[in-house]
Amino acid sequence: MDINYYREQLQAKEDMLARTTEFLSQTQNLLVEKNLRLLKSQRDIFDSIEFAKLVQTSLLPDPRILKIFFSDAEYKVSQQIGIGGDTIFIKSTNSGVVFCLLDATGHGIPAAMLSISGSLILNDITTSLEIDDPSVLLKLLNYRLHTTFNNNNQSIAHFEGTAFYYSTKNNTLSYSSAKGKVFLQNSQGEIISLASSKISIGESPYSEFVRFELPFKKGEKILLFSDGLTDQFGGEQDKKFTASRLKQTVLNHPDKNVTELKEIIYQEHLTWKGNNEQTDDLSFKLIEF
Amino acid sequence: MQAQNEFIVIFKDKYTTLTYYEKLTLAICQVDAEYIPINDFKKTFEFISKFIETSKIFYFVFDKSNLRTFHQPSMEWYFAIWKPSLRAKGLVNHYKILPNLEWFAKAVEAGKHEILQKYGKDILSGINITYISSINEVIEQIEMNNKYVL
Repeated sequence: MDINYYREQLQAKEDMLARTTEFLSQTQNLLVEKNLRLLKSQRDIFDSIEFAKLVQTSLLPDPRILKIFFSDAEYKVSQQIGIGGDTIFIKSTNSGVVFCLLDATGHGIPAAMLSISGSLILNDITTSLEIDDPSVLLKLLNYRLHTTFNNNNQSIAHFEGTAFYYSTKNNTLSYSSAKGKVFLQNSQGEIISLASSKISIGESPYSEFVRFELPFKKGEKILLFSDGLTDQFGGEQDKKFTASRLKQTVLNHPDKNVTELKEIIYQEHLTWKGNNEQTDDLSFKLIEF
Repeated sequence: MQAQNEFIVIFKDKYTTLTYYEKLTLAICQVDAEYIPINDFKKTFEFISKFIETSKIFYFVFDKSNLRTFHQPSMEWYFAIWKPSLRAKGLVNHYKILPNLEWFAKAVEAGKHEILQKYGKDILSGINITYISSINEVIEQIEMNNKYVL
C-alpha cells in the first residue's frame, strides 16, 4: 500500500467519525425531545390523578357519623396510586346507620371509577329506600351493577366487601358479606373471623347474600379490611402480610383505643412494605361498640 | 463444515477475494484490507455484478469483518446504485458480516441512515438484508431454507 492509500483512508476515517458524531448528536437530540414529551405526558397524568384523588377522597364519609352510634370509629384508605377501588360508605338512616367497606376489582383508574359508582349507587339506594337489612342492600347493589355496567348480561363491575346495619330502635347489629373480611374482637380479647357469602357482588344478577345477626357487647371491636392490607408483600422474605399477622397486631395491643389502633395497623403495614411498592388498594375500618 | 475445494476463488486483489460456492449458488466477497479506495471498490463490484449475472447467483455475502474504515461515498454507491441494479438482475438475498466492533456498527448505522434519508426507504424494497456473524451461519441458513422449499 502506498502513502496515498493511507492518506485516503485517514480522510475517510475522519469523514466517518464526523458523520457518526453528527448522527449520534441527532439521535441524542431526538431522545432529549422524546424525553421532554414523556415528562410532559407523565406530568399531565400525575396532575389528572391528583385531581381525581381529590374527587374520590371528597366522596369518603365523615367517620364521626359512626361515633354518634358507637363508642369510637376510625377508618383508613390508601389507594395504590392515589386513586383506586377501595371505598368506605357510611350513611345514617331514619332508624340507624349503614356502613360498608367495599373493594372493587383491580386497581388504578378503572377500579376508582367502579368504586365511585359503587358509592353513588349505595347512596342512591339508601336515599330512596329505608334499608334495615344489609343483605338486601348488597342484593340491590349487585342488581344495580348489572343494570349499570351490563356487558352481554354480565356486570363488568365486581366488588368484595361487607355491609353492616345498626338499628337504633332494636339496638341490633346485622351484616351481610360478599367475600368481605371482618374480625370481631370479643370482650375476652379473642379475635374471630366473621362468616361471609362465597360470592362477590356483580358475579350474577340475582345473587342472594346471607344476613347475619351479630350480638355485641360494649367495648368489643370490629375490624373490616380489604385484602390490600393482608396481601401486601414485604418483610425479610418478601412474603404477604397475611390475616394472621394482622390478627396478631391487634392482639398485641389490647388496651389501645380505635384511633391508636388505626395508626398501629397502618404503621405495621408501612414497616412490612418497606421499600416495596404498595401491592393493592388498601382500606380498613375499626369500630368499638 | 464444507470441504474447502467446494469454494472456488473467482477473483482476488489486494483488497478483496471473491469466492463461489456452486452448490448453493452463493457468492462471497471477503474484504481483506482495512480500507478500499472507492475506485477499486467500484471496479470490484462491477466485476462481481457481471459474475453474479452470468453465474445465476441467488445469495451474496459481503464479509466486511476486516474493514476498519467505512467510506460513505462508496457505501452510497453500493446502496443506491449497485444493489438496485443487482435486484433488477434477480439478486435479492444479501448477507453481511460486520467487524465485531460497536463503533463500526454505529458508523454503518449512521451511514445507512443518511443514505435512506437521501434516497428514501423504497430504495431497498424487495431486497433481503441479513446480518450474520460467519459464513457457516449463512450456509446453515440457506440449507435450512432449501430443506423446506418444495
